Amino acid sequence: MPQPVENLDKLDEHLKAVVQALHGAVKQGIPHVKEPQIVDNAVADCREILDEIMAGHVKEWLN
Amino acid sequence: MFTDKIEVKDFDKMNPEYKELLGHVLTIQADCEIGGPHLYVEKMLPAAPTKLDQLIVARTAAEEIDHFRKVARVAGDIGIDVSFLLSQPNEKRFVETFRGLITTWEDNAVFGFLIDRVGRYQLEEFYDCSYLPLQRILPDIVTEELGHIEYGYNKTVELIESGDVGKAKAQKAVDYWYIRALDMFGRTGSKRSERYRYWGLKRRSNEQAREDYLNEVDPILKKIGLKVPDPNQGRHFA
Repeated sequence: MPQPVENLDKLDEHLKAVVQALHGAVKQGIPHVKEPQIVDNAVADCREILDEIMAGHVKEWLN
Repeated sequence: MFTDKIEVKDFDKMNPEYKELLGHVLTIQADCEIGGPHLYVEKMLPAAPTKLDQLIVARTAAEEIDHFRKVARVAGDIGIDVSFLLSQPNEKRFVETFRGLITTWEDNAVFGFLIDRVGRYQLEEFYDCSYLPLQRILPDIVTEELGHIEYGYNKTVELIESGDVGKAKAQKAVDYWYIRALDMFGRTGSKRSERYRYWGLKRRSNEQAREDYLNEVDPILKKIGLKVPDPNQGRHFA
């Protein structure tokens, strides 16, 4: 069997959690697109989560 | 032609060329999956025209991140670490299309319409491929890519129907992305492409996939009232 990459499970779990959190924020906002406060909060949550992923500090996620 | 089906447990026994090609294609695929969000999230999440569009930009990014995760898992299980791609600056992306930043809504729309469609073609190359763990992750990824393509198409049509200014913007974006889409299929007569097919990792030659794409996209462009750009103008890979 090949040797899997170190921390593969940790990275997988982290990304899974990120994706779930994003979907959660999107689902919270979509039914309320006409209610600025709720939808703005949902977009802000997405922004925060995506900023972390886009920054790509992989080592920090794995510690 | 190689016709066996390979599982993770068989990987160590495989020919070095097979290992190298599989590792390479998984790395490129992972790079393209995460390269998308890096192109559009920064400017399009705040600038999408409606709150719903903002949320759809975020959902699209979530799906692409999940595609990256799935490809990274397949690669990681055979010892190929693609995690460096998460912190790769855009200008270092393997595929030129992903170097840069999307700054206008029309580019975002046409990117979904044309470039995510190339993504679908690339994924379809792996249907019935010799490496089963790769084959298994395809159905869900392709389903989500189809959603991105449809959304991009609908937003492009919305722009066209908004009037002359919108139509001109859509045409300009198509002129830009169409050529990049064609280049994404790689060189005609590529030796590497031939080896991918030999090892059962891909189905079509670069030129055949590109031809199929043209046959699909050109009639759509004509149907929605846009001009089909010259497919040879400005190309890097003939």
